[in-house]
Amino acid sequence: MRRVAVTGVGVVSPLGNGIRPFFESLAAGRSGVARLSMRFEERLVCRIGASVSGFDAESLFAAPRLRMLDRVSQFALAATAEALSEAGEVFDGLDLERAGVFVGTGMGGARTTDESYFTLYGEQSDRLKPLSVLLAMNNAAASWIGMEHGLRGANLTYSTACSSSAVAIGEAARRVASGEADVMIAGGSEAPLNFGTLKAWDAMRTLATEDPEDASASCKPFARDRSGLVLGEGAAMLVLEDWDRAVQRGARIRAEMAGYGLCADPSHITRPSVAGQAAAMRRALADARMSVAEIDYINAHGTGTQANDSVETAAIKEVFGARAHAIPVSSTKSMHGHLLGAAGAIEFAASLLAMEAGIAPPTINLRHPDPECDLDYVALVARSGVGIGAFMSNSFAFGGTNAVLIGRRAP
Amino acid sequence: MTTLERLQALLRNELDLAPERLAPDARLEDLDIDSLRLIEILFSVEDAFAVTVPAGADELRARLVTVGDLAAYIDSLLAQKANSAP
Repeated sequence: MRRVAVTGVGVVSPLGNGIRPFFESLAAGRSGVARLSMRFEERLVCRIGASVSGFDAESLFAAPRLRMLDRVSQFALAATAEALSEAGEVFDGLDLERAGVFVGTGMGGARTTDESYFTLYGEQSDRLKPLSVLLAMNNAAASWIGMEHGLRGANLTYSTACSSSAVAIGEAARRVASGEADVMIAGGSEAPLNFGTLKAWDAMRTLATEDPEDASASCKPFARDRSGLVLGEGAAMLVLEDWDRAVQRGARIRAEMAGYGLCADPSHITRPSVAGQAAAMRRALADARMSVAEIDYINAHGTGTQANDSVETAAIKEVFGARAHAIPVSSTKSMHGHLLGAAGAIEFAASLLAMEAGIAPPTINLRHPDPECDLDYVALVARSGVGIGAFMSNSFAFGGTNAVLIGRRAP
Repeated sequence: MTTLERLQALLRNELDLAPERLAPDARLEDLDIDSLRLIEILFSVEDAFAVTVPAGADELRARLVTVGDLAAYIDSLLAQKANSAP
């Protein structure tokens, strides 16, 4: 198997567009969560979310093209553009059959679907936009990325709810490792902040209660007073590349994509299990041929739900043993919200940037510890001077597909 | 405004095209109007001219080769509508 290099990273996020503003916000412990405003907002039980601001689609895409792009594809294309600009001339001299795109998304073009239903049922009109199918289809983002760069290798969309993009990255890395591809663009995108999607989440009663004093402090992973997750939107994309090729062309290797652990937890459609989460972490470690002693930072799935955070804590303790208490574990979802299908990718990006900076991002809003959650969650403020040789990024999903990624510092 | 002028204005808006490219004999193909773009344009035509375009994409694509063809087709739809009015 070949080694896999990460040679590009790109982000569109509620904490800023571009990896620099994104990581500055993470390091500053800034929250991207706020009150949402949209049609029918007064009917939302949970009126908060982490939305992307300062994203000027009109300036990024010509009008005829923009009409073909749901917000989820716009985010994916913008994040890809940044990742590729970071990666340099990655396609030079490459047979483009050896380059592909894997994207994770949970809800695809949900905004288009929502707008279409509003037209049909709300306005009682049959005037649906003629390209609605192309905007809403789940594989649109991956397809547009592949078309923009003429990539003829595998183009796949993974939809495993909250682990979608961790799966996309892990599977893409395997294509490069096996020699099937030399370059893969991999990551995730999600744009779920529309009324219909939010109401569906409302109905599940799994969203956070708005903090009465500060809406931006509503997502409280690992805290005793955590009340649920806060939905977010955005995208993160990576350029994964055959290590030797990256070295030969003098690319800046930002990390080694070292391990990927995947397992299904068939016990319940939503309830996580310690065994299932622990199995995915163990598989990632085995895949990376690393011991728990080599992991210096964990970006937790850390949704802020009662069920996840205590189970994840127990799973980390089961896998890491005594070392569990010595590793900084943070939930950056406390700041950027839960990006669902893009969560794994944006949290891998956050971890990679944390490794480069030697700064563990905090779990903000963790003021009231939960006795069942007793790890070092880097509460409230970031910690600098943390030597991170390798990190683990956890993604656990409704439906039970658990995926864990491990990144290692490039030598 | 004639139908052609109204159509030219609509195409300018929809496609970001310079007016001089939208002469009556300009071929839709040369304006990058593929079958998908044509369907989008016809949707806007239906709104702008308050007509219903009955045919499917393949049939229209065969019939409508130039900007002038499209204007003439809209005129025929407008005429049909006028004739069928009570």
